[in-house]
Amino acid sequence: MTDKSQDTARATDSPTYGWVRLAGYYWQRTRVNRLAVFGLAFILFLVVMALIGPFFTLGPTLVDFEQKNLPPAGFATEKSVYSTATGELTITRVPGDWKHPLGTDSKGRDMLAMIVSGARVSLQVGLLATGIAIFIGIIIGVLSAYMGRWVDNVLMRFTDVMMTFPFFLLLVLIIFIFGPSLAFIVLAIGLTGWTGTARLVRSEALSLRTRDFILAARAMGATGGRVIFRHLIPNVVSLIIVIATLSIPGVILAEAALSFIGLGDPTVASWGIVLEAGQSSLDTAWWVAVEPGIMLFLTVLAFNFLGDGLRDAFDPKSRI
Amino acid sequence: MKQPDTDLLDVRDLKKYYQVTGGLLSAHVGDIKAVDGVSFAIREREVLGLVGESGCGKSTLGRTILRLEEPTGGNILYRGMDITRLDRKGLRELAREVQMIFQDPDASLDPRMTAGDSIGEPLTIHKVGNERGRMLRVAELMEQVGLDARQVSHYPHEFSGGQKQRIGIARALAMNPRLIIADEPVSALDVSVQAQILNLMTDIQKQYGLAYLFIAHDLSVIRHMAHRVAIMYLGKIVELAGNQEIFENPLHPYTEALLSALPSCKPKARERILLRGDVPSAMNPPAGCRFHTRCHRVLAICNREQPELVEISRGHFVACHLYH
Amino acid sequence: MKTGDNVVLEVSNLKTYFFTRRGVVKAVDGLDFHLRRGECLCLVGESGCGKTVTALSILKLVDSPPGKIVEGEIRYDSLDLVKCSSKQLRQIRGKEIAMVFQEAQSALNPVLTIGDQIMEQIMLHLPLERNEAQNRSMALLREMGIPSVERVMKSYPHQLSGGMKQRAMIAMSLSCDPTIIIADEPTTAVDVTIEAQILGIFRSLKEQRQLSLIFITHDLAVVAEIGDRAVVMYAGKEVETAPVSEIIANPRHPYTAGLIRCLPDISRPADRLVSIPGFAPNPVELPGGCAFHPRCSEGMPICSQQAPPVVELSTEHRVRCHLYR
Repeated sequence: MTDKSQDTARATDSPTYGWVRLAGYYWQRTRVNRLAVFGLAFILFLVVMALIGPFFTLGPTLVDFEQKNLPPAGFATEKSVYSTATGELTITRVPGDWKHPLGTDSKGRDMLAMIVSGARVSLQVGLLATGIAIFIGIIIGVLSAYMGRWVDNVLMRFTDVMMTFPFFLLLVLIIFIFGPSLAFIVLAIGLTGWTGTARLVRSEALSLRTRDFILAARAMGATGGRVIFRHLIPNVVSLIIVIATLSIPGVILAEAALSFIGLGDPTVASWGIVLEAGQSSLDTAWWVAVEPGIMLFLTVLAFNFLGDGLRDAFDPKSRI
Repeated sequence: MKQPDTDLLDVRDLKKYYQVTGGLLSAHVGDIKAVDGVSFAIREREVLGLVGESGCGKSTLGRTILRLEEPTGGNILYRGMDITRLDRKGLRELAREVQMIFQDPDASLDPRMTAGDSIGEPLTIHKVGNERGRMLRVAELMEQVGLDARQVSHYPHEFSGGQKQRIGIARALAMNPRLIIADEPVSALDVSVQAQILNLMTDIQKQYGLAYLFIAHDLSVIRHMAHRVAIMYLGKIVELAGNQEIFENPLHPYTEALLSALPSCKPKARERILLRGDVPSAMNPPAGCRFHTRCHRVLAICNREQPELVEISRGHFVACHLYH
Repeated sequence: MKTGDNVVLEVSNLKTYFFTRRGVVKAVDGLDFHLRRGECLCLVGESGCGKTVTALSILKLVDSPPGKIVEGEIRYDSLDLVKCSSKQLRQIRGKEIAMVFQEAQSALNPVLTIGDQIMEQIMLHLPLERNEAQNRSMALLREMGIPSVERVMKSYPHQLSGGMKQRAMIAMSLSCDPTIIIADEPTTAVDVTIEAQILGIFRSLKEQRQLSLIFITHDLAVVAEIGDRAVVMYAGKEVETAPVSEIIANPRHPYTAGLIRCLPDISRPADRLVSIPGFAPNPVELPGGCAFHPRCSEGMPICSQQAPPVVELSTEHRVRCHLYR
């Protein structure tokens, strides 16, 4: 045993050392893509907003009819009042106020507070529902690919059935019976949204199964479990990260859509709920609909940019 | 070359067929006879070269011996013990003594594992020593194959092709095996790197007293490495002889054609034997001798009867009607 | 270097660089060579030496960002290909200078039959009717030694063996009677018996049609079989140019000598192969002075400081090495 080997053994005592380098390598490849970096920055901004925003804003459900329909700071609207007594039409200019930087809605609730609250809701729904869906998808996909034969057949037919399942109708039914709740929405999306992931994971795992390094592991005497957990899954992780990043916007939009048609949870101020409330007053108080709309648009863009950037970074064939 | 000793591996009439299904109900339509009755033996410290062109079944043969593919028929004996239907536990024990080196250095390493992890994996699987002991052994192995032990935490994409192949070799050596099946270990490498890796394999063969089943398609590499050479065509061995014997005195027409086709730095003004046609499909091999459709010395009997692999002179086996 | 008499292609000071995030890769860095009619010139070298990029540069097929032909002239038939417009190049590509690629699998279109692909090329450049093009295609395939030509014309690439696909590609490259064929490692992916057939085809094309051939390979044995002259490349530069018989018998540059020595010799098996130590340099961080010096057995102090110039040992033999100054 040479001294050099002993030095090396000492130098590699910390097991996370290699992992950090690998993450660094992929980060280098990602940050090249400016759109992806913008996406990541925006998402971080959302996270910060969701975490500490509520401490700095007024309550989102604080109703104050005195202050209703205020425009955002820097804008001004006109309010016309017809006095039956004098028969005169007085038009007063109503400017925005920095107390409500983004204005208020028809019930006087602060828009900024609702946007912040909406960010929190969207991220929660996005992450939780996607998490559930991905988790189920990975298990089904990997099992299907590795067990093969009849297990694969059964699982894939089950996946086909679930793909055609009208989750929307299920949701309506649940809400009809139990009343609307954020928890139901998350569960419904999660329990029905795993099918795409399962298919992608299965096909990636299948193609990995015949690769030489899997054969090498088997040749070494690795058990099936070790091959799956130590070799297959880590190599599928990059695919999963990309799938997750690209699924989250769909989930967020799904929640917004549900709220928009009235199936959302009215006790939380999500962007969809605010949008729904604002659609009727587009001509008088346009900001109530436009602000959550812009946030949804930017959020979806951000996740998509980041997801695309990650996909390119993880793909060994793309030259970066 | 030191005289090889006892029989390490004894392959008897090994067959590996792949079922071909077709039609709406996935009926069994036919078989791809990738390996169709192959017999040979490898002694301790011996290098048996297995040569053939693409589709002849040599890679399948290597994988079947390690039970990475399940044999359809025949027997494999390792040190006298029948391993053809060995259970999983037995195979894990076998993995301590028989290992494999793969062709494509890019595909044979897990891209998410460091060099140290890959090399040390056999030790981890077989629970050899403690973590510290394993790390020391990994460093030792890296030095032995000519790698800088400080790169133990590097990932495969940070190494060159030749270095990745060295990692693969170090991994195969980790458990001190007796037999290594090398499946085209230098085919994907540049010529100068190839020479380095071949030298490395020669060195460790001597140092560890290893036997190799050296699978390749390049005859000059085989000429350099092997003690004995087996030529494969469409799932069968057509000629088997000692290194010098087979290159100076090739008997089977296919061997002659292979040697004649080899481009050489010193091109002799010789009669080039150009084979007619292409390699037939492994699903519908020609009747009788599989090579007869392209043979330049074909006889009438060749399309009726399959020739057996028979010992013509001491240690020189041929499967050809010309010599019966 | 003799120019003029019978030269069909002349490359002068070709520099093709790739501008990547990690730095500038000088894939081809000042390459000079010429090709005569009816001659086979081999570009020899290992992976990364720039031989494929050279071939792509001649036909301006280099991926244009990030690659760029920064300097140099490629003279063909009184034109400078580097300065040609896309329209002019399209007339030349396939018709006058054709290319055969390494992997027939990826160079052929999998959804078109072989016949369609060859005819497409013919009808693009020559004013022939469809049935005339068809006859011409079949004649070419027959010339390649392909049996059952009608069946092959109607086949898709995946239905043919590797050797057949490669021969179909060669037929395609010949379809418009080009002056020059650039073959990029056409036999590397193919078995040795098929390789012998294909080399035979190239040899007869050279003799019968007076075809000029640029043959790219890493296999010196193939060079010995088919080449008339060879240019040995390392790290984007030419290190030695000479007639093939000279280079094999009497290599002057240490890299060329090393390449020849490290080949396993079928007539003389040795215990150990003489290998070139070290490995190929990082293209973004080439060693200073002579790029080969860290691996050179004949290294001198000047080799790490100054890039060696090209020395003409005779009219036909050049070396880029400080040993010969």
